[in-house]
Amino acid sequence: MSMEQKAGTRLIVKDVSKTFYQKKIEPHHVVDKVSLEVKDNEFLVLLGPGHCGKTVLLNIVSGLMPPDEGSVYLDGEKITKPNPKIGMVFQKLGLMPWKTVIENVEIGPKLSGINVKTRRERAEYFIDLVGLKGFENSYPHQLSGGMKQRVGIARAYTNDPEILIMDEPFGQLDAQTRYNMQNEISRISEHEKRTIIFVTNNIEEALYLGDRIILFTECPARVKEIYDIDLKRPRDMIDPEFLRLRKMISNNTDLAL
Amino acid sequence: MKKTAAYDQKRRPIKKILNSLLPFVSITCLFLLWFYASNINPDLVPSPASTWERLIQLFVKPVNKMNLFGHVWASLQRVFIALACATVLGVTVGVMIGWSKTFKAIFGTLFELIRPIPPIAWLPIIIMWFGIGEFPKILIVFIGTFMPIVVNTYTGIRLVMPLHLDVARMFNASNRQLLFEVAIPSALPPIFAGIRNATSSGWMTVLAAEMIASKAGLGFLITRGMDYFDVPLILVGMLAIGIVGALLAIITEFIERLLCPWNKKLEQD
Ligand SMILES: Nc1ncnc2c1ncn2[C@@H]1O[C@H](COP(=O)(O)OP(=O)(O)O)[C@@H](O)[C@H]1O
Ligand SMILES: [Mg+2]
Repeated sequence: MSMEQKAGTRLIVKDVSKTFYQKKIEPHHVVDKVSLEVKDNEFLVLLGPGHCGKTVLLNIVSGLMPPDEGSVYLDGEKITKPNPKIGMVFQKLGLMPWKTVIENVEIGPKLSGINVKTRRERAEYFIDLVGLKGFENSYPHQLSGGMKQRVGIARAYTNDPEILIMDEPFGQLDAQTRYNMQNEISRISEHEKRTIIFVTNNIEEALYLGDRIILFTECPARVKEIYDIDLKRPRDMIDPEFLRLRKMISNNTDLAL
Repeated sequence: MKKTAAYDQKRRPIKKILNSLLPFVSITCLFLLWFYASNINPDLVPSPASTWERLIQLFVKPVNKMNLFGHVWASLQRVFIALACATVLGVTVGVMIGWSKTFKAIFGTLFELIRPIPPIAWLPIIIMWFGIGEFPKILIVFIGTFMPIVVNTYTGIRLVMPLHLDVARMFNASNRQLLFEVAIPSALPPIFAGIRNATSSGWMTVLAAEMIASKAGLGFLITRGMDYFDVPLILVGMLAIGIVGALLAIITEFIERLLCPWNKKLEQD
């Protein structure tokens, strides 16, 4: 099955819903008729409160989990299983503790059977880009939270995805590290132009990074509002326009984020 | 607050030294107790000195053409052969029933039924089937080492983090790759823990097997001591069993550390 699409649109999410049924518990409706489009090379931010169903939606978009209703189309083709064109930085990272930094980073090309030399070079390039040079042979448990996050990002980039999904990548970090990482990701995405779907529950982070912000309701997740952000980059968090947008989104948001 | 911290820092090294001395204190106490007991009844409890003499004599006049090292080696050899076979087979079986629902359905229940039978309980039937040669002894040790390896491998494979599998799936991993790149490596620490358990269990089993029917090994040595009322020989055998057992534990832990350098649990203690 395929789908008509406008020029410049990479990914279409159409009327996707998901409910979890568990024994002895009320059915848990998590994603409710979500429709959205992702444009080529845009930095799209999905903004929504915690536990509203963002990760579930991403799992559906990436093909790891089937939706109950609706479909996801990548370049017009329906997604039914993970596709190497889509990369993911998982919210809980999932670095493999038995692999060193470089072994973690090169796992994508390794699984696709690319030879050691080529994949090492690629991995080195992105390890350097995320600022982890010198830590290639460390194990994840020897790294700080921010460094682990960088490994997760380098790992996703090394597989050379066309669309990169990042699920609350800075959620676990302290304020200072988070701020640095926002700058880093902004720098990396300028350097390595990709379509990025970035999930967060932080309004400032969304405004600092996004070309477009899709605001979700609380659980079940529904699209509440879409904002086009035309602020020039690099963005200034105390610029009056930035603050105005921040207030506007904040007033439109369910509960405290 | 500051005062207590400084106080703790001052005290800590003293406590550390004290703690490192305590093992020697307890061993000395045991020796004193041994001395004391041997004064009461030297026939049943030979003194440390006569035990030492017996040990020396074992090298001068070997028992059954073998000195102490010969007997230690005889026992160790049986354990090593059994352990090698048990590791290869046990890991394979553990991986299969941990990974494939079909294998679990076929062998799971069967295995749960056989598992509670201790290796010693296999002795009579194995002796009746295979006699008292080298093979039946190794077979019994194999049974004792196979079980913990299968159980740990199975558990390790079952406990693979679904997130790690998802990560690999995102990179288009095949089923085979999920098994060999994710499931098995992530199960290595529990597998090694299984091999460690298997080594100590194998060491106990081999001695029991040797005590029933054997012409070499530490188990044979202490049975021989009993038959000839040679109590010092029994003590020499028991001490050797303890020391070799402890060394085996240290060596397996060292190998584990070497092969699983990411295993935090080992690094911390
Ligand atoms: N596999 C699952 N089975 C049952 N419930 C789930 C499952 N995955 C997520 N949920 C529930 O769905 C809700 C939304 O989860 P999630 O998408 O992780 O939220 P978030 O927006 O914080 O990423 C949560 O209440 C969670 O408990
Ligand atoms: Mg989430």
